[in-house]
Amino acid sequence: MLLELTGIQLSFGGLYALKDFSLSVGEGELVGLIGPNGAGKTTAFNVISGIYPPSTGSVRFRGEDLVGRSTFEIAARGVSRTFQNIRLFERLSVLENVQVASHWRRGYALWDAAFRSRHFDACERRLDEEAKALLATFGLYERRRARATSLPYGEQRRLEMARALASKPSLLLLDEPAAGMNPAEIVELMELIARIRAEYGLTILLIEHHMHVVMGVCQRIAVVDFGVKIAEGSPDEIRNDPRVIEAYLGQPVSGEH
Amino acid sequence: MAAGSLALTGVVLLYTTILFLHGNLGFPVGLLSDYYFQVLMLAGINIIVTIGLNLINGFAGQFSIGQAGFMAIGAYVTAMLATFVIPIGMFSLPTQIVAFIGIVLVAGCAAGLVGYLVGLPSLRLKGDYLAIATLAFGEVVRSVVRASDEISAAIAALGLTTLAAHIEGIGGPRGFGGFPQLADLVIGPVRIPTLFTLIFTSVVLSVVLVRNLVYSSYGRAWLSVRSNELAAEIMGVNSTRAKVLAFILSGFLAGVGGGYFAFVIRFLHPDSFSFLKSIEYLIFLYAGGAASLSGSIVAPGALTILPEFLRVAGFDQWRLVVYPILLISIMLWRPSGLMGDREFRFLENRRGVRDAS
Repeated sequence: MLLELTGIQLSFGGLYALKDFSLSVGEGELVGLIGPNGAGKTTAFNVISGIYPPSTGSVRFRGEDLVGRSTFEIAARGVSRTFQNIRLFERLSVLENVQVASHWRRGYALWDAAFRSRHFDACERRLDEEAKALLATFGLYERRRARATSLPYGEQRRLEMARALASKPSLLLLDEPAAGMNPAEIVELMELIARIRAEYGLTILLIEHHMHVVMGVCQRIAVVDFGVKIAEGSPDEIRNDPRVIEAYLGQPVSGEH
Repeated sequence: MAAGSLALTGVVLLYTTILFLHGNLGFPVGLLSDYYFQVLMLAGINIIVTIGLNLINGFAGQFSIGQAGFMAIGAYVTAMLATFVIPIGMFSLPTQIVAFIGIVLVAGCAAGLVGYLVGLPSLRLKGDYLAIATLAFGEVVRSVVRASDEISAAIAALGLTTLAAHIEGIGGPRGFGGFPQLADLVIGPVRIPTLFTLIFTSVVLSVVLVRNLVYSSYGRAWLSVRSNELAAEIMGVNSTRAKVLAFILSGFLAGVGGGYFAFVIRFLHPDSFSFLKSIEYLIFLYAGGAASLSGSIVAPGALTILPEFLRVAGFDQWRLVVYPILLISIMLWRPSGLMGDREFRFLENRRGVRDAS
């Protein structure tokens, strides 16, 4: 298993955000995480990426426990993510946004940068080319000099994914990448996700509300409700699971036909 | 690199013009009196210190009001070393300059080290709380200098009499003056003013080196922390380290500026480094534009020279009216500073390496 969450417990002032939550993701898998609003999906992402330390439980990534590690250390170990509410660096250009994610593997020291050594030039050229290649993959190359926040919404979402990939992750957490997109854009996005998954050998954990998207691309789906994992299985199993239907639609009222 | 050599030509031209106007090149021009020459040196110092502050408050997006504290450390360390430890008055010219440069660098490093020590715990604080902590730091430095006699007595009691004598020598509340001066280099009719040349060179070096840093991965990391700290950390940027680095470099630059300040003013008093001095640098920074190096050159330069210029122009009594009006105008019409976060063309180096496309 690439990622293994076991017995995660996290509460905010008496309210359980995650309760005895466990989830495993194997190398190369694309797993969906679904559930009603406020179920704890994003909280699970925040636990994995080290923003919230869980009160109990462990997060094992490649066998190493990530609990207690700083966010940037977790990033350097190969976990990257996008945000549900876009968090781009607004003062930086599109290209620079992507390059920030390669800061931890820049390969040169302060002196190299201050005195513009040859080593600096070589490293920066490498980072520059990598970032441009990523932007090309995401169809943003032409926009590389624009301010990140001047991009239209859909492009900002794609830029977030490009930036997440620049930190060279093996596990990518996508938090509602299709939010606010129209059906045509969603189809494009799904093709893009499939493509980068193959190209970069990624394992992906995906939060998404668009059911047909999740059902269409995920090999396995976990359903969360009130911080508890209520079901896990293949898309077909999930579609017909009565607990899932109940979580989304409520209980059938007795006496009605 | 046409832009680079053009900028270099400009810098050399500026330097020569100033020396010419000051009458250093053998022609008795006298357009620039010794007093205004000193004002220019202060402007240079203010540029160095403002650039330092810009690293913390502009690029890294924190809020520090302790710049005078770092300057005081640089000033007192420089003056103390040059007076007692390596009395530079004893040396002849080339050695004297080398010794002085060494002393100023040591003073800068001392202030940088203090920047590290202050930065590390303070950076657990954010926003207003960080501002208060750095404000307190500046005042602590001033109080320590004020209490130098008591500290000296305590050190003397430990038996370290030489050190105690040196610390007593900085004078505490009596002020510290009478340190040796740097000799000028005279070649025939040409007189190269040592202190001015050093300050001028330091301004150029600070601008170039800080520009190189700002347009590197380090600068992008600072700006990302400023823009969205959480996202920066998720992308692998150690934000604490980035902020501490800004504090160290800022302390270093303020320390170097303080060292020169001591030798331009020739007299140090703890109250020269009060809270108001720190505020002055905040004004320079925000009037120029946070996260703009060009702004950190234009604003401290203009706001140091202009009030003195008004003095000659016969507006002596109006100086203190014009200055605030100027600041209010900037606030009204250029709320993000004269330069915003833009740069002059010759300072812009956005991609680090030349763009092939």
